[in-house]
Amino acid sequence: MIYLFQILNGIGLGMLYFLLAAGLSIIFGLLQFVNFAHGAFYLLGAYLTYDLVERGVSFWIALPVATLIVAIVAGAIEALLLHRIYKLPHTFHILVTVGIALVFQELAIIIWGPIGGSVPTPDGLGGVVMLGNFVYPQYRLFTIAVTAVLAGGLWWLLEGTRVGAIVRAGSESASNMALLGYNTMRINTAVFAFGAGLAGLAGALAAPIRGVEPFMGAEALSVAFVVVVIGGMGSYTGALAAGLMIGIIQSLMTTIWPQGAQLFIYIAMAAVIAIRPRGLLGRV
Amino acid sequence: MITRRKFLATSALASGALAMPGLSGQVLAQDKAITLAVPVPISGAFAANGKYAVIGAQLAADEIAAAKGIKINTLDLDTEGKPATAVRKVQDAAEQDGARLFAGGILSSVSLAMGKEAERAGGVFMTTAGADEITGKDCNSATFRWSVPTYGAINETVRPLIDMLPDAKKWYTITPQYVFGEGLLSAAKDVFKEKGIDHVGNSYHSLSEREFSGYLTNAMAAQPDVLLLLNFGSQSSATLRQAISFGMKQRMTIVIAWASGLEQFEELGADTCEGVYFGAQYWHEADAPANKALVKAVQEKYGYNPNYSLAGSYIISKLLLEAAVEAGSTDGPAVAKALAGKKYDGLTGPEEVRAADHQVLKDYYLLKGKSKADMKDKDDYAEIIHSGQSFLDPQAAGCTMPS
Repeated sequence: MIYLFQILNGIGLGMLYFLLAAGLSIIFGLLQFVNFAHGAFYLLGAYLTYDLVERGVSFWIALPVATLIVAIVAGAIEALLLHRIYKLPHTFHILVTVGIALVFQELAIIIWGPIGGSVPTPDGLGGVVMLGNFVYPQYRLFTIAVTAVLAGGLWWLLEGTRVGAIVRAGSESASNMALLGYNTMRINTAVFAFGAGLAGLAGALAAPIRGVEPFMGAEALSVAFVVVVIGGMGSYTGALAAGLMIGIIQSLMTTIWPQGAQLFIYIAMAAVIAIRPRGLLGRV
Repeated sequence: MITRRKFLATSALASGALAMPGLSGQVLAQDKAITLAVPVPISGAFAANGKYAVIGAQLAADEIAAAKGIKINTLDLDTEGKPATAVRKVQDAAEQDGARLFAGGILSSVSLAMGKEAERAGGVFMTTAGADEITGKDCNSATFRWSVPTYGAINETVRPLIDMLPDAKKWYTITPQYVFGEGLLSAAKDVFKEKGIDHVGNSYHSLSEREFSGYLTNAMAAQPDVLLLLNFGSQSSATLRQAISFGMKQRMTIVIAWASGLEQFEELGADTCEGVYFGAQYWHEADAPANKALVKAVQEKYGYNPNYSLAGSYIISKLLLEAAVEAGSTDGPAVAKALAGKKYDGLTGPEEVRAADHQVLKDYYLLKGKSKADMKDKDDYAEIIHSGQSFLDPQAAGCTMPS
């Protein structure tokens, strides 16, 4: 029974991990851009939600507003700065985005202080669901549902619509798209803003579970990278599989060998890389 | 080829080395400044504690400087919460800045390393970190500690709670796997054994863990009456927050054995803390004259109430500086001699620096979170429901001080 429950808990964790990693994976897959500022967008989403809720705004309004602000901020950063470095080697991507991440982290400390804060569980989802001797918070079930719907919607958007086709074509050959009359720079900005917005949404959704603190971005970034590496760089369905795998492994390990639960995330990553160097569903 | 930058760096190092010969042995005079080094985590996961510690140290330095008519410089050293970084910074401060007084630490593993380094450098180190070893089997002539160690923290929280909650027979523990957590856990196990408590399980977690739902699931499976959290800072906040979202507050009593005080209540909010028990080294509402003076000073200067990080850093800085003034020197052994055995009015009432192991004897508090409706002001998160002193005697703690 406890293992079944840990698997359920792991699915809950895994869906959050997927949401965190999906944006990173999309940005890498379509822009070939390594974005170490992804955790900063997660942090910003969480802190904006916290700030709005503290000001008396309903969580249900704060959630989309925070997500939208993160997407706009990210789009502006891309349009002003990042598009200039796409053609440079990955080391420059890392250098610039790590810098951006540090700026956001320190800004959070200056604006909201070094002590973290809590976001109350939104009204109507504060209860728990009983499963035998175990309880599961309604809010976590809600995040699983939201993420599942989002996952389906994203897949449809990327694979089944004209917008998705344009975006995918842009990642294959930006110059051909430009010849066909598409503004690839604008497409890139939109994709980056969208990916960052997903991170912002993950932060906003996670805030009532995890609270906010200035170093949450760095932690989220490392999990997101593990998920992307396991799933295969740029593979959207891979990110979903990897997120769930990591969540379930981590959750099960807390019962089997608790002190190694964190370690096993990375052991799983090493094992997948050893067997499938391009990740579970990575493109060849 | 030597570049301009390299040349500048090496020449700066060289001049630092030339200026090295220490200040030790010099008699304090009005024109000579005392340096108080404050090695605390200013960045990293425990940066919030470090930020307030810096403020507390500065407050003590200003107070002593004004009272004694001397000049005091504080030197903030960012340990990043890592033993290796801390040791290097302590070395640099001792060699390049002539620092001999070190007030800081916060994390046990870091403090153990710094205490040894301070002794080697001919300095004196006072800390608020918790592991028994600091004034136990790893005690040394240069290391002092203000906070009640893990043994006392358990005995002043778990023991009175067992008496207050006679029906709570099954306890579950969640423990971070490092020296601090192990200390709390072994002390708790001893109390459980003595009182006939059924310790229905323990989950260890790593010092970098953020997600506690899995450990809480283990705890739920054991169906305890009491959930005892032995982790610290943001980890204990995260565990408590997640435990409450799993509805555990309604099903069992929750205790954080070593809370970080006011800053933790601010982070969690009153709704989360209501009805939860917290062990605390310091509480701003404690009825002691020195505490009231500190609260007044911090309110006047910063407009808020002192928290544990600020207060702990304030008192250890003040004790070190007063001892240096009394000794007429910042030389480690001289300051240590002045400090050992000292009795003073502390933040928890009368306190004493025990000479045999350099442990300060002071009260530890058991707090209970109040409901929002019962709070008199915005910081009145909890009431003190018990306070007292429990210390191993130096021999039992394993401290043999070289004479």
